[in-house]
Amino acid sequence: MNLEDELRAALRREDPSLGFAKRVVARAQSRRAPRKTMPRFIWAVAIAAMLVIGLTATYEVRQMKAERAGRDAVLALRIAADKLNSAREKVVRREN
Amino acid sequence: MFTQGIAGAIPKVMTDDPERFEELVREHQAMVFSMACRYLRNRALAEEIAQDVFLQLYRKLPSLESSEHVLHWLRWVTAHRLIDHSRQEKRRPQSPLEDVPEPAAADSTGSADPLLSEMLRDLVASLPENARVVMILRYQEDLDPMDIARALDMPIATVKSHLQRSLALLREKLSRTKGVGL
Repeated sequence: MNLEDELRAALRREDPSLGFAKRVVARAQSRRAPRKTMPRFIWAVAIAAMLVIGLTATYEVRQMKAERAGRDAVLALRIAADKLNSAREKVVRREN
Repeated sequence: MFTQGIAGAIPKVMTDDPERFEELVREHQAMVFSMACRYLRNRALAEEIAQDVFLQLYRKLPSLESSEHVLHWLRWVTAHRLIDHSRQEKRRPQSPLEDVPEPAAADSTGSADPLLSEMLRDLVASLPENARVVMILRYQEDLDPMDIARALDMPIATVKSHLQRSLALLREKLSRTKGVGL
């Protein structure tokens, strides 16, 4: 027998241990399962978080606007009161 | 040479059908495992790498179009996985074949002599990475140099050079070993 034939005999295929294919399938399935559920779970959490953040932000903006409007109204009343006071003082001075 | 088996029907639906995928693994497991085993000379590691190759196949299946494509893909990925593994891990120090100790002499030179086969497997496993894969594809898978060049994306001249040089080295090594002359 020549070297090439000896090499073919020495390097002929052999099977892995029993149950190899089943172990591969089990690993493939176990890797696949979390992949299917994880993105859905992550999407649900992300959407919920975005809703909470959006609603909170909207509420905060409304609150800030209301507070600013209140402060503006008070300022306007103070200005109006100041003007009325100064006008009243002028009238009183003229009468005296 | 290769059975068509599950081959005709292909793979887009296989990821949803574990039994068909298992059948596909059975069809190719000897090729992938033996390549790894001959290359690494370590059955446990070879099984681990073979499993990784099939898991990679499982993810890749939807994009593979035919049984020939699957076979070509498996050879290519296994070969490159093995070369990368030995380059990165360096679990076995690489040494040129000339530096490998002479194997023990065989008692006989008849065909399928287990001692001679063991010596040949050791010598092939001591070849440099690319030459080792080329020899495995040539003598385990019985591919001709053109198919090896295609499988490894390697120029055919390089494949032929690896084969000639490796065979010469093996002959020289064996002829130096008492009682073995091929």
